[in-house]
Amino acid sequence: MLKYLIIQLDSTSTSFCHYAVNRREPCLMPLDTLRKAIRWSMIENVNVQFLYPEYPLPAEYADAIETIDHVKIMQATAADAGKADIVVFDGIASVDADSLSEDMSIVVRTGKKAFFAEYAMLNAILPKVSRLNVVITDIASFADDDFTTYEAALTELAVAVKNEYVGNHPVQFNLLTDRIMLKEMNNCGAGSESLTLAPNGRFYVCPAFYFDDESDSVGDIDNGPSLKNPQLYKLGYAPICRVCDAFHCHRCVWLNRRTTLEVNTPSHEQCATAHIERNASRRLLEAIREVGEFLPGMEIPEIDYIDPFENVRIDR
Amino acid sequence: MKKEVGYVSAEERDEIQRLFERRNGLTELAKILTPDNDELYERLVADMGDTATRFQGWWNDKSAKYGWESAPEGHWEIDFNDCKIYLITN
Amino acid sequence: MNEEKLKIKEDAQQWEGGVAKNITFIVTKDCQLACKYCYLVGKNEEERMSWEVAKQAIDYIFDHENDFPERSVVFDFIGGEPFLEIDLIERICDYIKTELFRRQHHWFDSYRFSFSTNGINYDTQKVQRFIEKNASHLSIGITIDGTQRKHDLNRIWKGDGPERGSYNDVVRNIPLWLSQFPGGGTKVTISSADIPYIRESVLHLYSLGIHEVNINVVFEDVWQEGDDRRFEEQLMLLADDIIDGDYYKDYSCSFFSERIGKPLDPVKENNNWCGAGRMLSIDAAGNFYPCTRFAAYSLREKRPIIIGNVRDGINKNRLRPFLTLDRTTQSPQECVDCEVASGCAWCQGENYDAAETPTVYQRSTAICLMHKARVRANNYYWNRLFRKLEKDGSREEFEQNKRNVKPEIC
Repeated sequence: MLKYLIIQLDSTSTSFCHYAVNRREPCLMPLDTLRKAIRWSMIENVNVQFLYPEYPLPAEYADAIETIDHVKIMQATAADAGKADIVVFDGIASVDADSLSEDMSIVVRTGKKAFFAEYAMLNAILPKVSRLNVVITDIASFADDDFTTYEAALTELAVAVKNEYVGNHPVQFNLLTDRIMLKEMNNCGAGSESLTLAPNGRFYVCPAFYFDDESDSVGDIDNGPSLKNPQLYKLGYAPICRVCDAFHCHRCVWLNRRTTLEVNTPSHEQCATAHIERNASRRLLEAIREVGEFLPGMEIPEIDYIDPFENVRIDR
Repeated sequence: MKKEVGYVSAEERDEIQRLFERRNGLTELAKILTPDNDELYERLVADMGDTATRFQGWWNDKSAKYGWESAPEGHWEIDFNDCKIYLITN
Repeated sequence: MNEEKLKIKEDAQQWEGGVAKNITFIVTKDCQLACKYCYLVGKNEEERMSWEVAKQAIDYIFDHENDFPERSVVFDFIGGEPFLEIDLIERICDYIKTELFRRQHHWFDSYRFSFSTNGINYDTQKVQRFIEKNASHLSIGITIDGTQRKHDLNRIWKGDGPERGSYNDVVRNIPLWLSQFPGGGTKVTISSADIPYIRESVLHLYSLGIHEVNINVVFEDVWQEGDDRRFEEQLMLLADDIIDGDYYKDYSCSFFSERIGKPLDPVKENNNWCGAGRMLSIDAAGNFYPCTRFAAYSLREKRPIIIGNVRDGINKNRLRPFLTLDRTTQSPQECVDCEVASGCAWCQGENYDAAETPTVYQRSTAICLMHKARVRANNYYWNRLFRKLEKDGSREEFEQNKRNVKPEIC
């Protein structure tokens, strides 16, 4: 069931996920389209998330946006960043920890190499925010050595997270705490729980699909969404994911399609990184419980694989 | 005339089937390898001898183990599908 | 006592079925014929595999023995018409044999070379020399569609001018082929226009000495209203002929199988029908495909699915959807709930080509009515046959000796 509509206000609106914004020339969503989108969202009873560009919006846009309950997602460098509900930083080094406040939710987009070089800086960020989402944009490029390095990095970061919890600051950190809190899959949901409306007035599975190929739309605001094979975006139709317990995994359907050509099938790299996070979360949970009772009843079993594909493949 | 005289285990069937396949493979390889192939020709000749010995050894071992009925002008056959041994006589 | 004579009782098409790796060389996209039902929409005379590409493919596969753990291998050669490239094929096979031996590769003890040919060049000196040279490792099927009028309806020579059927050019080679492959089966394809000729064609193939007729309707959405009724009528007539003529004792026709027409358990009987992804196809450009049906020349609507190439190897991520694909996940609910689901086949490539989005997870149901018609005729066949056998007191004997007709899986 559709729960969220992501409205991309401009063709240069910020990315908050794996995809890169590949448009340079701003193209603002027509005001009429924005108004239709807000009306449609109210009728369909979906939550709205606005993706903002860097430049300030005209006043009539700001007024229209305020007619509906919503979440604002902006780059840290955006003109109106102070009004954002979620602030996006490109690169760990670009985050000024002193400028953060404890009620902030931030997203840090980083590449693999930069993450490995800079992840220690997250130790200073974790005490300052309520939620930290780190998105490694190029996980498709992970090789065997990278998995080892990633595991070591998470093990180090888990020490800082544990200290926050022991110090009564239960920070949410997607790579290490989301799995601890979940009893079932809670993924991106693009195509099943969320759709994106691009500035051209067309629906897309998510913003990444818009940037990949503008003709790859799934309906428009005048006629409503028309997603073909919608079942393939649901968990029950994903043979690897439906038997998996890396509940926090993005299950990024855009990465799926890029790497395996099917929206319902994750790559080895996506599965392996999610399982390294899962296993690090399991160890973190144990470590926090050494100090005192914590989330009784929530358990993460020990497993001997990092890619559930090996458990479901039909040729072995 | 064909008469069922016994059977072997699946593992024993696999063993003779593999030897049978190897013997055929070596025979057909011998049609294209010439003595001037220093690397492979001698190996091929040795392998053919070794495989033939193991092949005959399998029949000797299994016929002794199971005591299959035999006939002076007959021969045994195996059905790879069901592991059954047949005595074939004219 | 000579103990060395072994009887090899093997069904060529099913050799090591389920455990053998299929590796397909698309040696040419050319063919002498232009069959009307051929799914190969992009045939041409230019894309012929070079020796260099073939060698690179073999070297890659043998260099990565651990990635190919199957205990046996079938090297398929297809086209177009594979025997147009007999010189290349002979070189490839010689190299495979030599390399398997040199590397002490586990497949040396279990390999086959397999061909599906239109039969036109079968008696040429080069093809015959190749057969003689590789006799114990060959599986060759000649495609003949039945009676001359049925065969010539679709299987016509390529080129301009009046249509010219190929029946006479093929049938002359059947005796030679059967003398070399006594258990040889033929593959018959049924499209809408062929339906009236099914009965006569199967009987004709029997009369030629072909004991195994593997026959299937095309998966493409070509069916006209009423085709299912006409199809059922033909199969009923054929059933009567097979039973009354006692053909069931020594001949088989894959349309009739005891295994079809039953409901399937969504958990225990959830296997994919198709072997795409467990196979590997290589084209003239050196690209790898999960099956030939995913190469560009096989696809009407979609882009090819390339899973690697001879230089960079296999992209294992692209194989994951194929290796996790089961029946129910790709089937619409009507197929999951179908009371006569068993034996209803599909082609992954056709599913992909016909799907509304670029996915292998949307099963085409174009043959639904044809399958149901087949099931009804099949029920008739077995009910009539078993009644006859019981009255004759020969049911038990039949059960012991019946030909094991396996569902045809591409």
